Amino acid sequence: MAVRTQFENSTDIGVFSKLTNAYCLTALASSTNFYSVFESELADVIPIVHTTIGGTRIVGRLTAGNRHGLLVPSTTTDQELQHLRNALPPSVAIQRIEERLSALGNVIACNDYVALVHPDIDRETEEIIADTLKVEVFRQTVANNVLVGSYCALSNQGGLVHPKTSRSELDELSSLLQVPLVAGTVNRGSEVIGAGLVVNDWCAFTGLDTTATEISVIEATFRLQGQTSAAVIGEMRDSLIDHYV
Amino acid sequence: MSSVAGLQRIAPVPTSADFIDIVLNATMRKTPTVIHKNFKISRIRNFYMRKVKFTQDTFDEKLGKIISEFPVLDNLHPFLSSLLNVLYDKNHYKLALGQINTARHLISQVSKDYNRLLKFGDSLYRCKQLKKAALGRMATIMRRQKDPLAYLEQVRQHISRLPAIDPNTRTLLICGYPNVGKSSFVNKITRADVDVQPYAFTTKSLFVGHMDYKYLRWQVIDTPGVLDHPLEEMNTIEMQSITALAHLRSAVLYFMDLSEQCGYTIEAQCKLFHSIKPLFANKPTILVINKIDIVRLADLSEENRSYVETIINDKSVTIVETSTYSEEGVMDVRNVACDALLAHRVEQKLKGNRIELVANKIHVAVPQKRDDLERKPFIPEAVKHKVKYDKEDPERRRLQRDEEQEMELSGMGIYSADTKKDYILADETWKYDKIPEFLNGKNVADFIDPDIAEKLDALEREEEALEAQGFYASDEEEMLDSDEEEFRDASKSVEKKKASIKKISQEKNHLQNRPIIPRKKKHVTLSEFTTGMRKSGHDPLVLEKRAARLMDAKKEAWEAAEARDATASEAAGGMDVDMNGDEVGSRPTKSKGVIKTKSGMAVSRAPRTDRRYAGLATKNQSEKANELRDFAQREPNRLAKASESDRHVPITRPKWMLAGKRKGGKTDRR
Repeated sequence: MAVRTQFENSTDIGVFSKLTNAYCLTALASSTNFYSVFESELADVIPIVHTTIGGTRIVGRLTAGNRHGLLVPSTTTDQELQHLRNALPPSVAIQRIEERLSALGNVIACNDYVALVHPDIDRETEEIIADTLKVEVFRQTVANNVLVGSYCALSNQGGLVHPKTSRSELDELSSLLQVPLVAGTVNRGSEVIGAGLVVNDWCAFTGLDTTATEISVIEATFRLQGQTSAAVIGEMRDSLIDHYV
Repeated sequence: MSSVAGLQRIAPVPTSADFIDIVLNATMRKTPTVIHKNFKISRIRNFYMRKVKFTQDTFDEKLGKIISEFPVLDNLHPFLSSLLNVLYDKNHYKLALGQINTARHLISQVSKDYNRLLKFGDSLYRCKQLKKAALGRMATIMRRQKDPLAYLEQVRQHISRLPAIDPNTRTLLICGYPNVGKSSFVNKITRADVDVQPYAFTTKSLFVGHMDYKYLRWQVIDTPGVLDHPLEEMNTIEMQSITALAHLRSAVLYFMDLSEQCGYTIEAQCKLFHSIKPLFANKPTILVINKIDIVRLADLSEENRSYVETIINDKSVTIVETSTYSEEGVMDVRNVACDALLAHRVEQKLKGNRIELVANKIHVAVPQKRDDLERKPFIPEAVKHKVKYDKEDPERRRLQRDEEQEMELSGMGIYSADTKKDYILADETWKYDKIPEFLNGKNVADFIDPDIAEKLDALEREEEALEAQGFYASDEEEMLDSDEEEFRDASKSVEKKKASIKKISQEKNHLQNRPIIPRKKKHVTLSEFTTGMRKSGHDPLVLEKRAARLMDAKKEAWEAAEARDATASEAAGGMDVDMNGDEVGSRPTKSKGVIKTKSGMAVSRAPRTDRRYAGLATKNQSEKANELRDFAQREPNRLAKASESDRHVPITRPKWMLAGKRKGGKTDRR
């Protein structure tokens, strides 16, 4: 189930929220509209936490995490860390990382099993990622972009990557991640997938500008409506060709 | 805003009378209006030439705008171009624009002629008459454009009401005889509200509706009915349908009414199909049998069926039955038409080379297994039982947004979300516990450690054990070896030196603004004084002797006074003595400065010494003093000042020389 929403007139909702299989972080906003969109879909299933990171609202870009853990950058204050610790279930490990590339959401893309990271990330950080999130870590680029977290969205059932990713690169990434991958866009042609889309194994939230075609690709890719991701080349193929060409 | 794809918005075209009013008004408002008595004739000529030129410019601009705003038919998409041709008659349209253009040239010619004449205008009156004639002729030219302007205004109004047809998108085109149910079908599958009436030619122009199917947006065009007669005999309404059929790449839905309620026989309907068939080439064509609630294809008589079969036998035509009245098969028709068109479009697109650019987007990368690990999705049980949130449901979950809205509506103030409400803690009562950020100047968070008590215990135990072992009981003093001692000494001396440097530096700046005691009032000891004298090369021997003598005298006087006091106090027998300061302070007076002769007259005399060198003992010093004095004199000399205190500013521009009328000669000759 994919839901369209926006954060204070911005469609880049991935910047202001983080969604995993065990928790959801949303930025503190002037009204609770954004929070309530998540609340209506996820309440009673996973905790949804209002938070800031280092006093900023760009929680989605500064943090990285999955069901096993949450990584926050060094700018996170002690109080924010305490708040997150109190609000998240004990099974989620929280770790503050001293890393030069402090926008962890931009440099790490992960699901519960595998993570792609920026090629220049610290060795120590890489180990911390592997230990905290319990994932295999691969240094990779997506369509020649080092910010892997910005240009892809992953779940355990599929992944959407930058629209300019070549077929061979798609195949390679897919074998690393062990999930089916599709190249696509969100927010009416935006290529920053990570900014326009947050997704977990059973639901997705996208920017308000996302078109019907994009939504249907997203739903097929992440198997949100029970389809298989083969739908992108099966029943949707003709529509996509007519739409793109 | 573009009302029709490919056509931009056109500004209203005024009638010829309005046109003239507008331009002449502008001329009056925007050019000068008053001629004074003392204007030279050249100025008057310019005045009128400007008016003529301005009027022509304004006409030119306004007419040019009309010409540029109306679309050039040859530059448009073929569909729009021929639609406009059908609606407005291409020749008429071109002629009207051409006439406007000619008028523009004529007006500029008039302006040119009259400007030339105005150059020879020799009086105000003649110039004015020439201007009047020029403006009059321009107005006459415009007045003759009455018809083209009126026509163009009508065209403009009509264009702005044309439906926004995009010639390149996915289009379903619906055609057929009048009254066979085309508009009803469009109303069924889109939100367009086309007028439906039980008589022929209800629909007189093209109508557009939109719908969604297969994640895509589709355009449905309803056309007026077409009768079966040669192209030359068709009227404007029918020609619109033919234009759309001829130029739009679309799926064609040919509607037939087998019940013949429309007033046309099945034979006629089939004949029409065959006669407009050339227009269906390269387009997916669907034969839609409408009104099956009355007659179905199967119910037809042998003769009628044979007519229909002439169409069905053509393999390129798909046949679908529907009834817009009972809504049977309506969606089938839509789906069949859309699928056929989509397949047709995709087939064409796959032939092009642009497909390579999007090849990766219609590719699903399927992972190759790299190990035996199974990576299952993680979907909590709660998700499966979760009731879908419904905004309309009165029993729905209360969201924070609801609380916020309630609070705002009730005017209870600003809502602030409770972030601590959902804390997951061992004890519910801890949720709202206050934890200080800082305690005794320390960040509390730095000391948060779940095992701190245990760790402290362990440390204490270790300490006790160490103490018990006697680890801290060492009593021998460590001996400093010589190296270390040397090092310490050196460091001490360095410190001392540093301290002294610091002191000197501080003193330099110390008390810069202190009150300075004048030298005269300063207490100077004899030894200080004489050392200074000696240093500067004087011999203070005389002074020393004199000082010693004075000292002795003072001492004697004091001793004498002591003795006197002692005797006096003895005499007074211990009485208090009031010591008056008069005698103590009295000094022998002595005149100084002026030397008097015996007769008491003051006598002038030459100074015994050169005072410039007074106080300078050595030759070196006096030379230095000379040098400094000369140097100090240099700047005042250069500026021709009398002295340092000369502040005179000489007058650079004397008034007597520069002000007033000049009668006697020129500036430089005075």
